[in-house]
Amino acid sequence: MSSSSPKGLSRIAANRLHKELKEWQMNPPAGFKHKVSDNLQRWIVEVNGAPNTLYENETYYLQVDFPENYPMEAPQVIFTHNPPLHPHIYSNGHICLDILYDSWSPAMTVSSICISILSMLSSSTEKARPVDNDRYVRNCRNGKSPKETRWWFHDDKV
Amino acid sequence: MDTMPDLGDRPRDDEIMAQHYAIRAEEAEKMSFIGDKEPLSSLAAEYESGNAIFKKKIEKLGETYGALRRTRGDGNCFFRAFMFSYLENLLETRNEAEAGRVKDSVDKCKQSLLDLGHSEFTFEDFLASFTDQLDGVQDGSLSADQLVENSRDQSISDSVVMFFRFITSGEIRKRADFFEPFIVGTSGLSVQQFCRSSVEPMGEESDHVHITALSDALGVLIRIVYLDSSNGDGGNNLDVNFHDFIPGQCVQEQPILKSKPSVVLLYRPGHYDILYEK
Repeated sequence: MSSSSPKGLSRIAANRLHKELKEWQMNPPAGFKHKVSDNLQRWIVEVNGAPNTLYENETYYLQVDFPENYPMEAPQVIFTHNPPLHPHIYSNGHICLDILYDSWSPAMTVSSICISILSMLSSSTEKARPVDNDRYVRNCRNGKSPKETRWWFHDDKV
Repeated sequence: MDTMPDLGDRPRDDEIMAQHYAIRAEEAEKMSFIGDKEPLSSLAAEYESGNAIFKKKIEKLGETYGALRRTRGDGNCFFRAFMFSYLENLLETRNEAEAGRVKDSVDKCKQSLLDLGHSEFTFEDFLASFTDQLDGVQDGSLSADQLVENSRDQSISDSVVMFFRFITSGEIRKRADFFEPFIVGTSGLSVQQFCRSSVEPMGEESDHVHITALSDALGVLIRIVYLDSSNGDGGNNLDVNFHDFIPGQCVQEQPILKSKPSVVLLYRPGHYDILYEK
């Protein structure tokens, strides 16, 4: 079901992403790098752990996939390769963060998502997987998108 | 086996809720964003074999109001109803001065959003969806039929709803001291949290905080007529309560408009439809 190829971006979505890209190039969020490619619909963003946090000097990669009717609908955001060890980040890269799902608003941007994710990393006090990591990852084996998960959000503090 | 025999295949609570939401979403999608104008009797028919208080109140409602227009119950109904009702009124009264006045309000809202730190590109397309309609009223290119069509077009309607969500959130945050007691009192959330979780995402329902903020932001008087099962003094004298959200009532800088409400909405718990005076 989720393996079907994504629909192309709508005119509104493409227009909006061009503007976001321009804004990003002029004013990138601190700690992030995005290599501009000709693929507007998938951004790979480099994340650098903030100084004086558990993730200092560590580098991770976010994969941001935009749906046809972005920004009305949230992008899918996951960590690729080796996701950071964090109580809200699963070993398959899925992130438990309300703004990526139920609390998404078209008022947000890739940049504001990145800032929220970095803040989530920076406030962590332990490097550990979520307690239900194994069960969750097993359930996602058929390539399920995190947007199909019905999330039960952990507390806001971490 | 860890399933209790007497429960059989009973679904878990979260599965029941998921199904409930799925059914509600499915039902909602059968209805267009904005329905056709219907006589008030269609509302009475809905309660024919139901609550006696509702029936009496609808009878009372019929003394002042003659028709209604239903909206889709998808959590955005207040904003969609406001969009249609306001623009329809503007069209019918050919009130170009009001269209100009509200455009000035839109400009002020835009400045507030910029002052609050929003990049213009995040809201300019949504803003244009609304001002396009106002332009249409001013230059006469927007017909009543076209307004219905635009209001049923997902892209246009969602865009305008999102613009209203932006300026509602902007007004609340700009006047956080004023709104804070209402927000903390009813939701326990901070102003920022409330805007983030209950105003800015699509599909989040509106209450008196949203209505006050939108009315103030655009300077538009909104009347909400409440249809619920409360029976006032015991049932003999059932009045239908209404509340006027008067823009500027709480803001010094705006002149108080003493005019008839241009937007009249019928509120039933959890839902807003559009009402028409006789």
